[in-house]
Amino acid sequence: MNAPPTLLKLPNQVLPGPTPQDGAPLLDIRDLEMRFGDRLIQQNITFSIEARTIFAIMGTSGSGKSTLLKHIVGLLAPAAGKVLHHGQDYWAADAAQRKAVRTGFGMLFQSAALWSSMTVLDNVCFPLQQLTGLDRTEREARAREVLGWVELSDFAAFYPSDLSGGMRKRAGLARAIVASPPLLLLDEPSAGLDPIGSRRLDELVLDIRERTGAAVVFVSHELPSLLAIADDGIFLDADSKRPIGHGSPRQLLAHESHPTVHAFMRRETVVDTVRATHATRAGAVAPSAG
Amino acid sequence: MATLDLAGPEGPGTRLFALIRLGAVRSGRALAFLGQLPLSAVVLVRAQAPFPVRDMLRIAVQCSAHALPIVLIVNLLVGAILAFVGAVQLVKFGAGIYVADLVGIAVTREMAAVMTAIVMAGRTGAAFAAELATMQANEEIDALEVLGVDTVAYLVLPRVIALTLMLPLLYFYGCAAGLLGGLLVASGMMDLSPAAYIARTGVALDLAYFALGASKSLFLGGLVAMTACYCGLHAARNATGVGQAATSAVVSGIVGVIALDAVFAVCANALHI
Repeated sequence: MNAPPTLLKLPNQVLPGPTPQDGAPLLDIRDLEMRFGDRLIQQNITFSIEARTIFAIMGTSGSGKSTLLKHIVGLLAPAAGKVLHHGQDYWAADAAQRKAVRTGFGMLFQSAALWSSMTVLDNVCFPLQQLTGLDRTEREARAREVLGWVELSDFAAFYPSDLSGGMRKRAGLARAIVASPPLLLLDEPSAGLDPIGSRRLDELVLDIRERTGAAVVFVSHELPSLLAIADDGIFLDADSKRPIGHGSPRQLLAHESHPTVHAFMRRETVVDTVRATHATRAGAVAPSAG
Repeated sequence: MATLDLAGPEGPGTRLFALIRLGAVRSGRALAFLGQLPLSAVVLVRAQAPFPVRDMLRIAVQCSAHALPIVLIVNLLVGAILAFVGAVQLVKFGAGIYVADLVGIAVTREMAAVMTAIVMAGRTGAAFAAELATMQANEEIDALEVLGVDTVAYLVLPRVIALTLMLPLLYFYGCAAGLLGGLLVASGMMDLSPAAYIARTGVALDLAYFALGASKSLFLGGLVAMTACYCGLHAARNATGVGQAATSAVVSGIVGVIALDAVFAVCANALHI
């Protein structure tokens, strides 16, 4: 049996990445507090990620999962705490260091966020144009290789508006991984996909980890995806505005006692839990029939 | 007797303070945007970062060649209206031939530049704002920022450069259309021969008027593009935000064009142009 094909490795001089500090994890979040103006979104978020880890950010709607991703990639500044890439604080770094940090991650947005004025091929080539010194021919060769990997070779000349939702997600994934970043961030990759498309994407994520050794941080509500691919994770609570669960989704499913985490992992809704509680209480006080 | 409570926690005082704070924040944001433009241009040149030349050419075609029909119609009609109104009055004094002076001077000094800029604020300004606001709503701008792309240099500069360079060209085209409109009305209504009208126009016009109009167009083009891009980049991330951005771009663009034209009128008067 043939060995699985590996991605072309980019020469280090054109894709330097952040300078690693001794023993520093790939991503280290320390006591992060997120705010929009005066409004607190989350606080006391602390976790770290090593290479080849698939880390899930879980939580109820409005708990700040996507906002956390935006803090990790430097789109939003923390109100307090630190986001360290290879031990380097993004917000304390100068412009050159920030650029180096940015070469260390790729991101798939919730809506794929493909640039609508560019073809799929140009979308995938663009990060290489920005982050590497590869010439046009090399960029296109590499982009076509990655498009083949996500099964979009025949759609390279298409515009994003001509693709289905699942294809857009895969094109966005190709764009995120084309520069072989050590850290991949995925914002609800399975959202809006049917179960088959969702599973295909999960397999792709596992494939990426195998082929590139990248760590993956992903936001998801999809329990099957969470249980299938995540090694570790954090559960954010919208009410208390702090993490209420740490560990892999399987661990949370088996051991977590917090009612919100329990309801989420058991696919129960909060309404179901409340109804069940009410039913139990009503049964306890109601006179027995007969 | 009711008194105005400006100090109450939920009263007009609080609202007034909130309004002032909002105004200050928005003004600061607009100033920061204005300052960011030249900084981004310098960084772009120094770092020799990739500049979307192809995008800029596409935008230049969109805001020039594609706008020719509407610029022609509007300026032709403005020239015709000026000639019509002027003819009615001047003929009373036996000075019908001076319609050529009226149309020529008004079109080249003021109307061609202002009307073309207003047309571009409504057409291209709205398009710029809607395009950028849609990119904002679709997270396309976030995707650029994650890669470290300076969005002002990448998205705003090409639009500002394209419209700033194209508007003077459209101004000359608008002048030709306005003068033609005047000629059509003068020869149709007043039985003036086209040759006499053209000869009189030649006497009335001065190259300084064209220089004034063209330089004004440069600034108006930049103003319309910057206003539109600012509205687009700061739009709310939803469909309503796209609509609001387009509306604000058109309204602010038109008001800005009129205001800047007034400044130019004062300056031209001071310089005896």
